[in-house]
Amino acid sequence: MVEAVNSSLGKMLLEEVSPVVMVLCTPLVEETFLKNGLSFVETLKPFCNFSNIDVPVRTSGDQLYRLKKFTLRLFNASDIKQPNVEVAKQRLEHVITQAGEKVFHDLESDPPQITDILSNPESEIAPTWFQYYNKELIRTLSFSDHEAFDHPVACLLVASSKDEEPLNKFVDLFNTNRLPSLLNDGVMDPKILKHFLLVHDNQDATTERTSKVLSEMRSTFGNNECNLLCTNSSKEGNVEHQANPWASFKSSVPAEKLGFALTGDDIGEIKDLMQEFASRHIIPYMEQKVRDLNQQISATRKGLRNQIKNLWWRKGKDDVPDSTKGSIYTFSSTESQIRILGDYAFMLHDYELALSSYRLISTDYKLDKAWKHYAGVQEMMGLAYFISDQSIKEAEYCMENAFSTYMKLGKSGFQNATRCGLWWAEMLKARDQYKEAASVYFRICGEEPLHAAVMLEQASYCFVLTKPAMLHKYGFHLVLSGDHYKICDQVNHAIRTYRSAISVYESTTWSHIKDHVYFHIGQWYAIVGMNDVAVRNMLRVLDCGNQSKSTQEIFLRDFFDIVKKTGMKHEVVGLRLPVINMSSLQVIYEDHRTYASQASALVEESIWQSLEDDIIPSLNSGKSNWLELQSKLLPKKYKESNVCVVGESVKLDLEFRNPLLISTSVTSVSLICELTANSDDLKLDKEPSSLSLETEHNQVTTSGLSSFTLSEVDFTLGGGEKKLVRLTVTPSEEGILKIVGVRWELSGSIVGVHYFQSVPTKAKTNKAKRKNKLTPTDALKFLVIKSLPRLEGSIDHLPDKLYAGDLRYLVLELKNNSESPIKNLKMKISHPRFVNPESHEEELTPGFPDCLKKGPEQNTVQRETSRTSVFAFPKDVSLQGDRSLRWPLWLRAAIPGTMSLYFTIYYEMENVSSIMKYRTLRMHYSLQVLPSLETSFEITPSPSRLQEFLVRMDIVNRANSDAFEIHQLSTVGCRWGISLLQPVDTILPSKSILPGQGLSCFFMIKDCRKPGIEEEKTTSILPSQTDTKLITQDDDEKFFDIVNSPLASFHESERSCHGTSDQLSPNTVDFILISRLAKSSNPSAEQDLLKILSHHSCHNRIRSSIPLSWSLDGPKTMYHDFSTSFCEIKLKMVIRNTSDGFLSVSINTIDGLPDAAAPTPSSGNLSGWRYVPAITEEMKLTSDVMGSRLGKPPPSMESSPPFIWSGSSSTKVQIQPLSTTEIPLQVSVFSPGTYSLSTYELVWELFEHENASSATSGTCQGYPYYITVLQSE
Amino acid sequence: MANTACFIIVGRNDIPIYEAEVGSAPKREDAAQLHQFILHAALDVVQDLAWTTSAMFLKSVDRFNDLVVSVYVTAGHILFNGIKSFFQEVHELYIKVLLNPLYLPGSRITSSHFDTKVRALARKYL
Repeated sequence: MVEAVNSSLGKMLLEEVSPVVMVLCTPLVEETFLKNGLSFVETLKPFCNFSNIDVPVRTSGDQLYRLKKFTLRLFNASDIKQPNVEVAKQRLEHVITQAGEKVFHDLESDPPQITDILSNPESEIAPTWFQYYNKELIRTLSFSDHEAFDHPVACLLVASSKDEEPLNKFVDLFNTNRLPSLLNDGVMDPKILKHFLLVHDNQDATTERTSKVLSEMRSTFGNNECNLLCTNSSKEGNVEHQANPWASFKSSVPAEKLGFALTGDDIGEIKDLMQEFASRHIIPYMEQKVRDLNQQISATRKGLRNQIKNLWWRKGKDDVPDSTKGSIYTFSSTESQIRILGDYAFMLHDYELALSSYRLISTDYKLDKAWKHYAGVQEMMGLAYFISDQSIKEAEYCMENAFSTYMKLGKSGFQNATRCGLWWAEMLKARDQYKEAASVYFRICGEEPLHAAVMLEQASYCFVLTKPAMLHKYGFHLVLSGDHYKICDQVNHAIRTYRSAISVYESTTWSHIKDHVYFHIGQWYAIVGMNDVAVRNMLRVLDCGNQSKSTQEIFLRDFFDIVKKTGMKHEVVGLRLPVINMSSLQVIYEDHRTYASQASALVEESIWQSLEDDIIPSLNSGKSNWLELQSKLLPKKYKESNVCVVGESVKLDLEFRNPLLISTSVTSVSLICELTANSDDLKLDKEPSSLSLETEHNQVTTSGLSSFTLSEVDFTLGGGEKKLVRLTVTPSEEGILKIVGVRWELSGSIVGVHYFQSVPTKAKTNKAKRKNKLTPTDALKFLVIKSLPRLEGSIDHLPDKLYAGDLRYLVLELKNNSESPIKNLKMKISHPRFVNPESHEEELTPGFPDCLKKGPEQNTVQRETSRTSVFAFPKDVSLQGDRSLRWPLWLRAAIPGTMSLYFTIYYEMENVSSIMKYRTLRMHYSLQVLPSLETSFEITPSPSRLQEFLVRMDIVNRANSDAFEIHQLSTVGCRWGISLLQPVDTILPSKSILPGQGLSCFFMIKDCRKPGIEEEKTTSILPSQTDTKLITQDDDEKFFDIVNSPLASFHESERSCHGTSDQLSPNTVDFILISRLAKSSNPSAEQDLLKILSHHSCHNRIRSSIPLSWSLDGPKTMYHDFSTSFCEIKLKMVIRNTSDGFLSVSINTIDGLPDAAAPTPSSGNLSGWRYVPAITEEMKLTSDVMGSRLGKPPPSMESSPPFIWSGSSSTKVQIQPLSTTEIPLQVSVFSPGTYSLSTYELVWELFEHENASSATSGTCQGYPYYITVLQSE
Repeated sequence: MANTACFIIVGRNDIPIYEAEVGSAPKREDAAQLHQFILHAALDVVQDLAWTTSAMFLKSVDRFNDLVVSVYVTAGHILFNGIKSFFQEVHELYIKVLLNPLYLPGSRITSSHFDTKVRALARKYL
């Protein structure tokens, strides 16, 4: 802590609370001194501060002490008055403006760093002009009526020796009429020390006259009170002072011009004069006055008696209503006398005496409610406590008291409060209580903005000085101060404060604060015309996504206004509008892999790789060759770098996001690229750095030279919108291409640049893998190789939505635009079930749906199905130039769902010596397949016919909106002939199956295989027998050909998809149902009418587990004369082995009733003969309804009249595979009636070979077979 | 009386992790930044005070004109600026947020649930 006297407040007090000398001088004196560019007072001013005057002083006590430092304040008599408030204000404003102009040039530099601020020495933190300002501010209060330290102590009367009658002049000068009003109206004591000075101008006055006048003066005014001052000794007037003493007092004039006529002797004389004046005259005079006053006051006010008297007297004065006005105290009143005593003692540094008199007077003022006087005294007490290093608490208490009392006075007291506050703050600062000082500054802000701004700024500097520094507060107060400066148009200062504040807020994430500070400082920079700095600051607020929409609009509007003012296109690195999402960066380039569309480029590489596995040259043979080639052609360094081809664009997808709520237009988005020729590989190692610099700079010219071309994209981003933008660069020369960054124009006025170096690196830092690691910049570096043929391919009219089973004819169009031919084309399709290439290039002659129909010449069966999914184009296919290859493809939507179809086409280049021998074209399409008709088949053996089976087909329309017509059902292969049991028209009069509708149809299929005859012979049945038309609307329509190319091959793939372990089982039937969209279902979709859907159902098994079928043949009705004999009926059982194994069947006939259906189990012993209770009735009945009896025998009859199986009761036969055996059977019937001949069973055993031991076996009950025997007439 | 309040949770390194303007006064455009400034400035005082007292709730640590700053300091030195029971409740909410394994301590709280809860509490207590 600094000693109180040496603190800044101490110095200030020494300067401000010091004796005032009133100067009265004649015009000629002024004239003399104006030769030096200075007035008289100004000339003397530098010599009024005495740092070591060393005068012994004795005031009240007996103790003598020596004054060391002393100051006099010189004022022209005309200045001794209370300053005009308005003038003072203007002067203060002037001070600030001047200071503002001084700082102007610093504003362009970068804002100071917070660490710099903190490391600055204390004195440098606040600008120096603050002290000056504070002084000026305090001076606005000089000569106030409630204080005495501004009262003139002495009067200096000055006349020139050139004056006419100088003695009279002296008398005139001190004429009461010309004295300041304060002296006249009784506020100040007019009886003061007078001192007379005669000025002698060495340039134009004669010494004789001067000495004559001087002696006259001495005789008139007394010897001691008169002095002579010789001046302007330099005749030429060109004296230059090394350290000009006036420089610091008068700054408006260049320092060299001041006092040029004064020689060193002159200055010495002035110095001596002032020193003598102070030590010989003023101090003794004051001493004397203090002693006198002290005596007088002790007599009237000290002692108990006087105190009581005083109190009583004051009480009586309470009635005076106007006591607060303060003007009641004239200089001669006791109170003023005490005050004067205090102030004089203060000025003579006798603080004890000063304090005691202040204390005495303060109670008086308090009782009188003379608040202003009271506060003034309190203020002085505080200062006295401080400077005498007494109780800090007391000092602070007094200041606080004074301050609040002044504040209570309202507006009139505010200025005083300000001064008090300034002193108080200084006091706190001297005690290192910066925080408290700051709050004092804050309290004296007041309402006037300029004043407040200065005070707030001072407060902010206090916060820096606190330990630890309170930087948040510092910033906040600076901002407040800046706002106030702005209000009174002190833009320079506003910028200065904000600039300092930025150092605090630079790294903050408090968005509102940041936006506010940067936006305003930007605006203000624009006001003072530093547009580029303004733009730089405004850039920081562009990413103001958290602000309200209107704020954002204001921000942007102002920003663009300023940018426009600068009149040039700024290039800003790291512009935050729009925001670039670096993680979205995706580079799409084509080396040997080429892509047909963007969608295919985005497909994962692994999918393609697995697809291409078996068509690209295999790893072992191919790669070694390839590597070898590569190592020859490429420098090792670039082995890992990406390869692209001249003339083929490298695409880069990048997401731009608008952080704002308002839409912004972004134009001319393009990549920044460098293309360096790799003519000399060795050089490249060193060159890139220098080269890149160069290319970066003339990026535009290089693109102008067309070593590469860039795409430009314009788009508008709505509020908060994200857009993925595709940018391309197409190299046109070989070399190394680097994508360095991206640039864009914002609203056509500012250019944003973003460099990609900051791509987050995903590469592993594994040391072992370091060699292979691709740094992010490597990923954007390409080796450009010379141009190669590139195949382009597309599939025309590939629908994206279709029904399951939909069959389409498509054309794959391949095109090679370059002149060099390509050969050896191969294609692989990810879903052979869906797509089937035609085997030869030809246009379909009959048009799409008709070509599928059976023509007379197309009957030949082509069983050429390549099981591999690789389709090799014919060897002679070679593409070149403009010719395009149109290759037919069949598409069939096999299963419902969303499907991704991947096509990859491999091709090799002819006659190109390049590192690339082959390329692949990748195509990707996705299909949405909707469910349509769903079929299921159930096949059961026909009970009546061997080799015939009943088929029930259930169709359900699963589509949402469309109806279908079923057209044709075919069996696949030549084994099964199919026929319709019942015309579908009768079941389905509408002819189309509506959505959700189900339908069952019945068919009969017939096994056309012949036993023992091989495959080729079975084809003898007409193919048409395998198809059946379901809806007979136009009879001439031909059947669809299911044995030829598209349908058959699709069926093959269906079969292999549904393939199960028992797929070779012979008893399976494959069906193909062909349907089409119903015509009337959707009138808008006219072209859909041609659509044909094929539904394949494979491996439908016959629902029969037995390997045989049989039938019993014989007469149904017989007439026999039972009177002669019983009736023997010959029957024939035909058994067919339907399996491929060897079958042995034994037929067991059962006489009587073996089953549980016997109605009378009690009569078990009467087997064969039955009593029929209601036979007569039955006969009657039969006579009545003969017909019904024939068709449907009454149940009672079924089991009644007996018959027996005659012949062998058990026959065993062996049946060869797929062959038929006939077994004769015989029944004997004893009475007429209808009999059910189902009382037999077949026990079968099936062997796989003739001699196989393992067998499957089973038993079959006989089918019902009725025979009616009637009595013949 | 229409009152206005700003509530901010400040994480380490003075990073705001949650902000809410609560209170019934009609919104003023510059209120948000003024509040931020005041609260930001109050951090200095809080930093001094936080280590001198063991209390979590620091009542009116700072003031600017008629705006009073109160602070609630959690054990982990995350500050809640804004009244005591309100603070306590919000503290509980905050702990719930902290327990969320997906929340990275110190990052901005973006949970809308948290936001609605805080605003509801603000209506209840302030």
